[in-house]
Amino acid sequence: MKIRIDKDACVGNARCAAISEVLFQLDDEGYIAVSEIDVPEGMEELARRGARSCPEKIIEIIEE
Amino acid sequence: MVQPVLSPLVERPAHVPEALVYDLDYYADPGVLQDAHGRALQVAKEAPGVFWTPRQGGHWVLRSHNAVFEASRDTERFSNAPISFEQLQAIIESLPEGAPKPLIPAPITFDPPHHAVYRNPLQKAFSPKAMNVLKDNIRALAVELIEKVKPQGGCAFVKDISEPMPVTIFLQMFGLPVDRQREYRDLVEEHFAQTDKDPQLIQARLRKVADVMRDAILERKDNPQNDLISLLWDSEFNGQKATLHDIENYAVMLFTAGLDTVVNGMALGAVHLAKNPQLQAEMRAHPEKTSDLTEEMLRRYTFTLPPRFVAEDCEFQGVQMKKGEMALLFLPGADLDAAEYPNPEVFDANREGKPHIAFGAGPHRCLGSHLARIELNILYEEMMARLPEFRLDPDKPLTYHGGHVWGPNEVYLKWDV
Ligand code: HEM
Ligand code: SF4
Repeated sequence: MKIRIDKDACVGNARCAAISEVLFQLDDEGYIAVSEIDVPEGMEELARRGARSCPEKIIEIIEE
Repeated sequence: MVQPVLSPLVERPAHVPEALVYDLDYYADPGVLQDAHGRALQVAKEAPGVFWTPRQGGHWVLRSHNAVFEASRDTERFSNAPISFEQLQAIIESLPEGAPKPLIPAPITFDPPHHAVYRNPLQKAFSPKAMNVLKDNIRALAVELIEKVKPQGGCAFVKDISEPMPVTIFLQMFGLPVDRQREYRDLVEEHFAQTDKDPQLIQARLRKVADVMRDAILERKDNPQNDLISLLWDSEFNGQKATLHDIENYAVMLFTAGLDTVVNGMALGAVHLAKNPQLQAEMRAHPEKTSDLTEEMLRRYTFTLPPRFVAEDCEFQGVQMKKGEMALLFLPGADLDAAEYPNPEVFDANREGKPHIAFGAGPHRCLGSHLARIELNILYEEMMARLPEFRLDPDKPLTYHGGHVWGPNEVYLKWDV
């Protein structure tokens, strides 16, 4: 599973990181620091919840 | 508080179809003054997703979640400024040397690309990391305020708790003398008691706010401390060093955005808890659920109504809009939209995967959201941990105020001692 994030559209809600700081790493200003994440095994549910939590709806889950 | 007067009905302009007219005076609607979110729920149920109200001079209201979300992120069609950046600069430059410059709350009044120039210097200072450092301090303050009223068996929640808490935090962060708190609190009250929209009166009030801070602002220029004023003096805008005017623009912004919002958010939360002893019991038993409670409070009682101005004649979701018209983002309705949140009137702290937009969406997303969340979480935690079951004082019925920030005027709580 992969996560793809439309990084330019991030407005720094940090809601994704509130679900998992490990998966969704923020920069010093509280904006998402990465645009693609490989989801480690066992973290799929956190990834999905993180995606749903984004108020900007810019986090996409790519199931493999 | 003076009872606001229902504004007169104005005539519907020719480009507004009759089917899109719905009567809502966001300042003085009798339903709002009686029960703000009861009325919000009604609007969410019965008004068109985009409607036009003949009140307050006549304006658009975007109430569906979809319309609010789309417009918030479409800064080309929906501007945060009533006039363009270039027009504004021209006005400022045309003023005689030494004349007081109009105060322009920054960054909220600017659209992209200028917006980022003014938002960036504050970003780090309000980041989740920076806010976490303040937690202990905020908790100590919450504990102090709650313990002070606890033996009394009741309190005037706004005056005793939800106002002093954010005001004190703001003064500390900004680097203003906390011992002049009373003065600032009076100013906050005065500022928000006004419902007029006369630009000159608004300027006069903002000027008063800036003047109270002036000494501290100037003092920090030569004598920097670990506070926001000092950080701002150190910032650059388009390659230019910050000026007194820049810092005053931030000061009035943070003053108006950071105080009244938290005051009302907390008060709305206190009302809901006071009316629901079962929820209180659940939260006392499960303090770890507090952040879910906070999020559902923000959704169920979303309370800010930011304005937008139509930048060009355009069609938006099938509706013709004209340049310069005001379109109010009715966030309370957006977060109560049944199309987005099933059974929106039900308070359900276990809603998942349906984030609210109480802090807005798009580039203007609330800069203070991380701070506000911490303040709300800590307050609820400490209220649950320290106060016995509390209820509304039945002798003091609730009344609400409208405007850009909705909320109860005062919340009288009682508990057994
Ligand atoms: C529960 C409390 C709060 C709520 C519900 C709230 C809500 C909002 C909303 C909806 C916006 C977007 C306005 C727009 O789109 O035009 C906003 C912007 C803003 N808020 Fe908050 N706010 C809260 C607390 C705070 C606090 C504590 C601060 C700072 C101390 C703050 C500072 C700001 C600033 C500076 C902006 C403008 C951001 C920009 O234009 O880029 N807010 N707030
Ligand atoms: S929740 Fe969305 S907008 Fe917020 S930081 Fe994460 S990606 Fe960005």
